Amino acid sequence: MAEARTPTFARERRGIALAWIALLALMLTSLGSAYLKLGPWNMVAGLVIAGIKVAIVAWLFMRLRAAGALIRLAAVAGLGTWGLLLALSGVDYATRTLTSAAVQRPQQLLPVQAASAPRHALQ
Amino acid sequence: MTAATLARQSADETPDPDTGKLGMWVFLASELLFFGGLFIAYLYGRTHFPAGWAAGSRRTDVVLGTVNTALLLTSSAAVALAVACEDDDRRRRWTARLLALTAGLGAVFLVLKGVEWHAEWHEHLVPGPAFALPVAGAQQFFALYFVMTGLHGVHMIFGVGALGGLALGRARERPWAGARQIEVAALYWHFVDAIWIFLYPLLYLVDRHG
Amino acid sequence: MTAALPASYLDDGLTLRSWLTTTDHKRVAILYAIAITAFFFVGGAAATLIRLELATPQGDLVSHDAYNKLFTAHGVIMVWLFLIPSIPSVLGNFLLPLMLGARDLAFPRLNLLSWYLYVAGGLVTLEALLLGGVDTGWTFYTPYSTMFSNSYVVLTLVGVFITGFSSILTGLNFIVTIHTLRPPAMGWFKLPLFAWALYATSLILVLATPVLAITTLLVAAERLFQIGIFDPAFGGDPLLFQHLFWFYSHPAVYIMVLPAMGVVSEIIPCFARRPVYGYASMAYAILAIASVGFLVWGHHMFVSGQSLAASMTFSLLSFIVAIPSAIKVFNWTATLYKGAIRFDAPMLYALGFVGLFTIGGLTGLFLASLALDVHLTDTYFVVAHFHYIMVGGSVMAYFGGLHFWWPKATGRMYPEIWARIAAVLVFAGFNLTFFPQFLLGVEGMPRRYHTYPPQFQVLNLFSSTGAGVLAIGYLMPLAYFAWSLLRGAPAGDNPFEAKGLEWQARSPPPTHNFDAAPVVPDRVYDYTAEEREPEPESAP
Repeated sequence: MAEARTPTFARERRGIALAWIALLALMLTSLGSAYLKLGPWNMVAGLVIAGIKVAIVAWLFMRLRAAGALIRLAAVAGLGTWGLLLALSGVDYATRTLTSAAVQRPQQLLPVQAASAPRHALQ
Repeated sequence: MTAATLARQSADETPDPDTGKLGMWVFLASELLFFGGLFIAYLYGRTHFPAGWAAGSRRTDVVLGTVNTALLLTSSAAVALAVACEDDDRRRRWTARLLALTAGLGAVFLVLKGVEWHAEWHEHLVPGPAFALPVAGAQQFFALYFVMTGLHGVHMIFGVGALGGLALGRARERPWAGARQIEVAALYWHFVDAIWIFLYPLLYLVDRHG
Repeated sequence: MTAALPASYLDDGLTLRSWLTTTDHKRVAILYAIAITAFFFVGGAAATLIRLELATPQGDLVSHDAYNKLFTAHGVIMVWLFLIPSIPSVLGNFLLPLMLGARDLAFPRLNLLSWYLYVAGGLVTLEALLLGGVDTGWTFYTPYSTMFSNSYVVLTLVGVFITGFSSILTGLNFIVTIHTLRPPAMGWFKLPLFAWALYATSLILVLATPVLAITTLLVAAERLFQIGIFDPAFGGDPLLFQHLFWFYSHPAVYIMVLPAMGVVSEIIPCFARRPVYGYASMAYAILAIASVGFLVWGHHMFVSGQSLAASMTFSLLSFIVAIPSAIKVFNWTATLYKGAIRFDAPMLYALGFVGLFTIGGLTGLFLASLALDVHLTDTYFVVAHFHYIMVGGSVMAYFGGLHFWWPKATGRMYPEIWARIAAVLVFAGFNLTFFPQFLLGVEGMPRRYHTYPPQFQVLNLFSSTGAGVLAIGYLMPLAYFAWSLLRGAPAGDNPFEAKGLEWQARSPPPTHNFDAAPVVPDRVYDYTAEEREPEPESAP
């Protein structure tokens, strides 16, 4: 039963306080690391730190630590499904060769249809 | 099992205390996929327009973004503490105040977000004909920036409303503002915070050293 | 009903207000049934106009633009306002608590909210239709929908968004209900297969629909603010839209077919008087279809510009997803073996499902083959394929379920002879409508065109004639169900001698469902063929 595993108030308050300090420290670390020249590792660092922060929020604040298997499964299911979207569309993006044609060169101009008849917002 | 037992089974009467939590976690799974589509669009842009993403991210307000992140992290701690207080007989009187604090921090977050957006509008960083950055992809970056923070902001508005309402209801000892409802609302709040935890490095910290 | 019997859920409040504020899952199911039926006939009207136009090669009935709007309306309404909610929100809402021996769903008020959201979304979509419609096809492909279409794209997508939210909440409700409101004696492997099907469907509803929601938002943003994420001129990718759209829309077809399979698994054992063959593998197959179904969406994009590696991956996965469906077809067939089969109307629909779903599923394998798909994509072969599954499959199962549980929900019997005639007409009309379309597709007739070369006319005439027969078959239940409500014979609690906890409730059930705790049998589908009187000619 989830209730039996809930710690005492003092323990829980301490856990929350420590987690809060850790979260702020991680945030500052992430901020600091962005100012270092790490190349592609900047993004990795940012994502890894964010992942740790979310893990702290989920495990401690959202009480996944004390939750049963079913709720943990629900927590993971969304992430896993998103992962499938990423992975399989990634197969396409990783293997699609883009040959640039004139119209595809990115440009900061108005798209062609802005010149056509005005539409109202609901269309 | 008697008919009387059967008759009490719906969540409106005497439900299993975990029913609401399970329902909220299932809802959060769907919300993850809702935001997830935007993260996929973001990843497409970042991998195809690294220069545009860097140029755009450098123009976000890292000070306000960091302050906002700190506010949200603190608000999550506050609502987690509120839930803990509600479970403890001696601390239950603090719950309403902590809920109000959480909602207040969220409201400040929204105000700061508005300030940011206002500034970005004036700096011509809103996608459109007068967009300020000539780098390819910078416009898409800001388009996603506004869609992602906007969608996050809408969720924050619901959260502030829910927690503010629960703070008032808890203070007045209303039956609909009990431990179960507070814990369920807190889960939602933590999720919205978790989304921001990822938005922070993805939007504000792409290329600060360039 | 005699005066001595306590009130049923139908008598529990007779005002309109009592219906519009109900949280009784059975009443919510009826509310859904009324709304869904209305949308079914609007979508059917669009189909009628399409088939009338296509009876002749020239585009002489409606203009090009109007034709585009007709097939878009037909698709949007039939997919989102009919097929996706039909079995879950009508049959599922009514039956799930009863099948679990429960009083209601886990979140009854959320259930009512789902209905209001569905109606709101439907009305917004209808409004878009009345204002002038949308012409992008139900698939809203970019860049046409985002850059060039001069029709009510955003408004329609708002309607779809709202309806999608409704279905997410229904899925959430079912998942929590199945986890928390089962009686202690009913473990997972004593659940009726309809409940398994609803569970798997609900997983898809919760996990896939949000991606559609964000996609509609992005299309609206692109259209309103030209953000450029799908626009090649800005370096955006039109295929990004397709990945996001089909990530939902392929699992969506399993939302449409899994509940139908669940209904068939309830009907066949009852009318063959045999337990389901291979119950465990049926349950696992349901889960396999739902999960592998998330991995195949790229088979809608083989010729769109997707990479060859991705296409090959999706093609392989699409072959794999056919396997659990095939297992189910084998098991339904094996259930019939040595059964004492009765051809009541629900059984006619269920058997029709098995045959037509098989054809639809097999033709899916044609489309999953890369080389064949290059020839068949965007032809009438595809149209025939998905109509075999969605109409020959899901709609037939929906009708079968309506007939099977009609006595339970209303306390009245429908007229059996008329129901069988309608079922036969539907089966015949359906095949006459859609089988020629396989041939048309192979011969190269493209879909979404309102004119065609004269050599295709004969097959198109067969198809349009079949549509007329099909329409009669669909209209007949409207008439005889209405008659049944007024004059139908009292059904009794279990006219089909079916197993399943819902049949232990009265017909129609009281609001609280059960007067006494229902008995969970030791075996689910506890049918034996010897129960019924043997037919004279089967004497040993």
